[in-house]
Amino acid sequence: MRILLSWLREHVEVTVPVETLAADLTEVGLAVDGIENIPGDAVLDIDVTTNRVDCMNVRGVAREVAVLYKTSLKPLDVTFAETGALASTALTVAIDAPDLCPRFCARVLDVKMGPSPPWLRERLEALGQRSISNIVDLTNYVMLELGQPTHAFDLAKIPGAALRVRWAREGESLQTLDGVERKLKASHGVVSGPEIGLALAGIMGGASSEIGDGTRTVALEAAYWDPLSIRRGARALGMHTEASHRFERGADPEGPVTALARFAHLLQKIGAGTTRPGLIDVHPAPRRTARLALRPERQRAVLGVDVPDAQRRQILAGLGFKGETPAIEVPSWRGDVSREIDLVEEVGRHYGINKIPSTLPPARRPGGLRPAQVLERRLRDVLVGAGLSEVVSYSFVSRADAGAVRLSNPLADNQPVLRTSLVDPGLTDVLRLNLSHGRRDVRIFEIGRVYQVREGQLPREDSRLAFLLSGTPARHWSEKARPADFFDGSGLVELLASAMGWSRPVFEKGNPEPILHSGRSAAVRTGGQQVGWVGALQPEFSKDLGLRQEAIVGELVLSELIAKAPAAERFATLPTQPGTSRDLSVVCDRGLPARDIESTVRGAAGRLLRDVMVSDRFEGGSLPAGKVSLTVTLRYQEKERTLTSEEVQESVSAVVTALKGRGAEIRGE
Amino acid sequence: MADSLEDLKARVRALKADFEAALGPAGDATGLQSVRDRFLGRKAGAVTALLKSLGGLADDARREAGRELNELKDDLEAKLEAAKTSLEAKAGALRLERESLDVTLPGRVPARGRRHPLVSTREALEDVFLSMGYEVYDGPEVEDDFHCFEALNMPPDHPARDMQDTFYVDVPGPSDLLLRTHTSSGQIRYMLENAHPPEVRIICPGKVYRRDNDITHSPMFQQIEGLVVGRGISVSDLKGTIEAFLHRLFGEKYPVRFRCSYFPYTEPSVEADLSCIVCDGKGCRVCKQTGWIEILGSGMVDPAVFEKVNEHLGRVVYDPEEVTGFAFGLGIDRVAMIRHGIDDIRLFYGGDLRFLEQFRG
Ligand SMILES: [Zn+2]
Repeated sequence: MRILLSWLREHVEVTVPVETLAADLTEVGLAVDGIENIPGDAVLDIDVTTNRVDCMNVRGVAREVAVLYKTSLKPLDVTFAETGALASTALTVAIDAPDLCPRFCARVLDVKMGPSPPWLRERLEALGQRSISNIVDLTNYVMLELGQPTHAFDLAKIPGAALRVRWAREGESLQTLDGVERKLKASHGVVSGPEIGLALAGIMGGASSEIGDGTRTVALEAAYWDPLSIRRGARALGMHTEASHRFERGADPEGPVTALARFAHLLQKIGAGTTRPGLIDVHPAPRRTARLALRPERQRAVLGVDVPDAQRRQILAGLGFKGETPAIEVPSWRGDVSREIDLVEEVGRHYGINKIPSTLPPARRPGGLRPAQVLERRLRDVLVGAGLSEVVSYSFVSRADAGAVRLSNPLADNQPVLRTSLVDPGLTDVLRLNLSHGRRDVRIFEIGRVYQVREGQLPREDSRLAFLLSGTPARHWSEKARPADFFDGSGLVELLASAMGWSRPVFEKGNPEPILHSGRSAAVRTGGQQVGWVGALQPEFSKDLGLRQEAIVGELVLSELIAKAPAAERFATLPTQPGTSRDLSVVCDRGLPARDIESTVRGAAGRLLRDVMVSDRFEGGSLPAGKVSLTVTLRYQEKERTLTSEEVQESVSAVVTALKGRGAEIRGE
Repeated sequence: MADSLEDLKARVRALKADFEAALGPAGDATGLQSVRDRFLGRKAGAVTALLKSLGGLADDARREAGRELNELKDDLEAKLEAAKTSLEAKAGALRLERESLDVTLPGRVPARGRRHPLVSTREALEDVFLSMGYEVYDGPEVEDDFHCFEALNMPPDHPARDMQDTFYVDVPGPSDLLLRTHTSSGQIRYMLENAHPPEVRIICPGKVYRRDNDITHSPMFQQIEGLVVGRGISVSDLKGTIEAFLHRLFGEKYPVRFRCSYFPYTEPSVEADLSCIVCDGKGCRVCKQTGWIEILGSGMVDPAVFEKVNEHLGRVVYDPEEVTGFAFGLGIDRVAMIRHGIDDIRLFYGGDLRFLEQFRG
């Protein structure tokens, strides 16, 4: 809302500099976003909140200024002379739809159409409004000054000189002043002649009764429209006008009378016409004045400060409230005030929000993070420590699996669904972007939700972790480059499991996801449950991305994994004796999983075995095709004593026998 | 044979001179050993030979000569030892020289990832509130109309709904699902889930969605909203909490100012501005020359919100006559943009490593 300082001064005395005025208005809720200085004057750009339609005009802002500086509004000149025959003999008004229009006022004016006088033109132009003609300009002027939209009909163009306010007929058409032919619905209101609609109620006038150079007599409408009806009507037509903006937020039901009088006064002042005697005022649903209580103790409880009674009275009276609690009368223009709390806010605003002392509320219980929140932070720390950077991607994507949640109004056609995986689309897009910047190594992760439709409920939202490793991390000059491969992915999962206290993960070969290389992917299980997957992207897919090397991706369902804090670690007494280890060179079928060898070793080795791991592997060379050689390191230890070579040898022999039983050959044995 | 003490002393001097002459060129352990053998050898050493030649001297003279020769022995031993130490030191220095590196070559930097700047910012915000006894609560991102709007005093057709252009969701079954436009919906859920006692002190961080896309608006962004409910909670507590929070986050030296505003679910509604941290309040591009940065919206919980919650619970738990509360909300993206001087919000969501790696994480 743009407010001209000189115009404001016609309504209230302003003695402070404009910058002070702006700061003070801002503090009470009329945020001044800018001050535009023009010769001898200034324009305040005020961001009026949607609840304060009463301040979307000069008079309303002036009222706030008057309370701010403990002065009073200057009286509004609404005097004028009436001449000619009674207005009611020239125009009749009927309201068929009181739910749409609780009040319709009109006056009949004899006008001399022409340009506006310079002062009127300049004032409108300073506010960015184009001057059109004296009568049109006056309707705009009155709206800007008092907030009440009015509409001028050419009386000669109203069939039968009779206006009816009614709901539109379904499919009825009406050409509005902007020249657009509108198809109406039964939920639109119209101001109509006996048959055809003449104006779109509360939104815009119609072309057929538009005033122009030839207009001699004007029927000037000022009505109060039901806010919701106007809002729904305007929205259905995709229209938003100065009038609808005000009416849909709730204009002043008493505004029409004042606005018509002010118009008549100004008409006379600029010599553009005269007003016929009599106000036409059809008022089928008179407003009931709200009367509210304001308990001082309630006011104190909310504001946290005692506002002296005298100051409270002064504030409320200045804003137009009358009487005393428990029957404080709410002024007609304050439709937003209907409860005690609304009055508390009015008192608080003008007491001065910055004068209220600051305190801290006492905490009555400890706060803190929940286990899942602590664990999510830890998970992030481990991943970052392992060299992966975190990304955050949009939840909406171009495509997703079956059961995805669809948006009914996506912003872009290419992002119509909520993601069902963080990987593709997701991390693969991040990879593509970074590759396009010439980046060779990409190591990233994301922690976020995926969404799945659930019949008759809110969609299921699961927290997931996904990661992607591709290329060679910045190579040191002393070393050979090694691009990421499957084992970087599975190893990362092992790292997470050990850092987070999950059971040791098990990798089961398979192709859990179609985007993965079937020979280089695995389902991840921990604690007997499948929790995700890891693998290399399919070669075709990598080629499409323009990847020179493999990209390893993985995804884990976090909801379960981080739901509970793991139990505290139990300390085990430290061994007093060093252990010993033996290496076995095992030649077996390439297809035999290393995990089977490990479990065979564990099964046969007896209780002295502490640990077993594959410490080397090779194939080819002198080995027959289809065979692989694994070096398996067995670590033995007994806490309290040194092991004898006989008992270790006994265990190793048992292991060798068991491995041979699985078709393995032991070299060097 | 030494004829006299004088004669012996002369021989000792000569021997010393010989020793010095021999020790000088001895450049390694072997050289030193042969010098030792020549002068101090038990059998054929020159000192031993001199000792053997004392037989002809009188007892007194022999004692003195013996002392003289022992001193000589100690002296030679000490010189040999010093020569050995010095040789070793030289060899050590040579080795270090041989092994020296160009220390200016790049070091082997362990791989390090970065936390996302929005996550660092969110955790910094969370930590301030955690220190004041808050819990962190997060509800669903796909919400229903009740939790996102209606319970927050925004019935259908409420003009305030225009401020939050909403993404609607098309799923079989419920017809009023949407992507939450603010995390205030979480506040409603928390109150419904924690109906006794009516004491609340939470923050709800999370992703929110609005149909908007330009350099200052992203269709997905992140908010943190807080709710405090209890007996005797007032505007004073709201102000104190927000000042404490902003001061902890940005530093005590930045003043905070409040101004009245409007949100459908709070009354009175108050916005907080922080003195511009870029220009110290003098006026710059970031603060649009005002010296103030709009940072946070807040207000006292509107009694209508408590009434909606009670209605949903089917009993009066949050009696607006008994309890009051305040709520506040701010954009995590906005705070991160101000902290780091980022001018395009969309950078947060692209995964561009050139952007992400600018942050310590
Ligand atoms: Zn600034």
